[in-house]
Amino acid sequence: MDDDTIVCRCEEATVGEIKQAIREGAVDVTGVKRRTRAGMGLCQGRTCERIVMRILSQELGKPMSEFEPDTVRTPVQPVTFGLLAEGAHD
Amino acid sequence: MTSAADVIVIGGGVIGSAVTYYLSREGVKVSLVERGDVASGTSSACDGNILAIDKVPGYDSQVTLKSQKLLAELTESLDYDLEYAQRGSVLVVEDENQERVARDWFSRQKEAGLPMRYLAGKEVFEDEPLLASDVVGLVECASDASLNPMAFVYGLVDTARRAGAMVHPFTEVTGILRDSVGTVCGVETTRGTMSANKVVLAAGVWTPALAASVGVNVRIEPRKGHILVAERSPRPARRKVQEFGYLLAKFGGTEGRNVEAEMDQYGIAMVFEPTEHGNFLIGSSREFVGFDRCCNHHILELMARRALRFFPTIRDIHIIRSYAGLRPYTPDHLPIVSPVPTVPGLYVAAGHEGDGIGLAPITGKVISEMILGEPTSIPTEPLRLDRFKNKK
Repeated sequence: MDDDTIVCRCEEATVGEIKQAIREGAVDVTGVKRRTRAGMGLCQGRTCERIVMRILSQELGKPMSEFEPDTVRTPVQPVTFGLLAEGAHD
Repeated sequence: MTSAADVIVIGGGVIGSAVTYYLSREGVKVSLVERGDVASGTSSACDGNILAIDKVPGYDSQVTLKSQKLLAELTESLDYDLEYAQRGSVLVVEDENQERVARDWFSRQKEAGLPMRYLAGKEVFEDEPLLASDVVGLVECASDASLNPMAFVYGLVDTARRAGAMVHPFTEVTGILRDSVGTVCGVETTRGTMSANKVVLAAGVWTPALAASVGVNVRIEPRKGHILVAERSPRPARRKVQEFGYLLAKFGGTEGRNVEAEMDQYGIAMVFEPTEHGNFLIGSSREFVGFDRCCNHHILELMARRALRFFPTIRDIHIIRSYAGLRPYTPDHLPIVSPVPTVPGLYVAAGHEGDGIGLAPITGKVISEMILGEPTSIPTEPLRLDRFKNKK
């Protein structure tokens, strides 16, 4: 993969930026996310997370199985303010 | 591993990173020790406010103003994009009842030297046209700013490292070491012993446990706060907006706000913050529920409802994530920035509750001054560790 290749399309984080984050100390998906925004967008890493894990695996010389996905947090699908607020009337 | 430094800083959040940065800049040999990755605790689960507007008028707000000035310098001296923006911030006044309190707040802050304005009537909607049409006023502080808190930590740590600081992530402190006369001489960690004759506890809500190991009582409790993250979207306001009632939730009052008991029970008050990437954050909640960082769905619902009360146009905008962080609360809402009188060589820099990002610069600078024996940039008496001694 070329350094200019975009890994996270939502936040436009590239291979080069992710490698740089790893050089700066990121050792997992969350560390890469906090430094590059990869996985912080609308899809919350659904598309790019595996690729980020593969780059981590290559750069740190560890098997893919050692990397875990980022913490899953609510909402699991994007939800509007209107819908979420309605729940408060239940 | 045995390594020697002049100072060991425990905690790689924004406070510990700022302490490390300011000491390194003065040529002091610092080791920063962090249990996880840097910026992985409270500094990764907050918003990025540098606010003077919501501080108690007087000492508290003046100290923040000083910290804001240091931060503006840091945006120049740190070789890292902090996503810093100084657009000011506003407090929204809901009705005539709040107006009296708000106008008083405005005058007291102005007297304390803050760049304040009060907007009423038509001026409110010229300033922020998408606010709910029934609000009556805005209190503005022009010096307020925001940044990306994690980028701030990375910038401080990177710059400190280039100035010679040693950074040890994924290294947990298991004990504070003292010599035969009780003076600090280092720390025991999961990766070996490190020696230094000064140790700074900057571990936020985890500070009391570390301090207790050397018989020191630190009055900090975790106060949990939730945040909602909105998708990139047209923003309902151009800068930081908080409901005036936020001050009531922060300082524990319940008068002057016409909301359901549940909103007060969870300390819910609307806080809106646009980010440099086109998203916006919505807060806030406040509760004492121990060290649990999981999101409470019902609280998120109430927060969304409160946000709609002030910004009806965000109804169809999506929330993409939520998170909760543990703010290090102290009983008088001021941080502890202090030597530990009973343990020579030990210092505490913690307890900033929701102001850690904004107060990190002044905290880092003052701890550096204390350690170097220089006069401090601000009076530090109100920040002493032992100020709670004779109080319940």
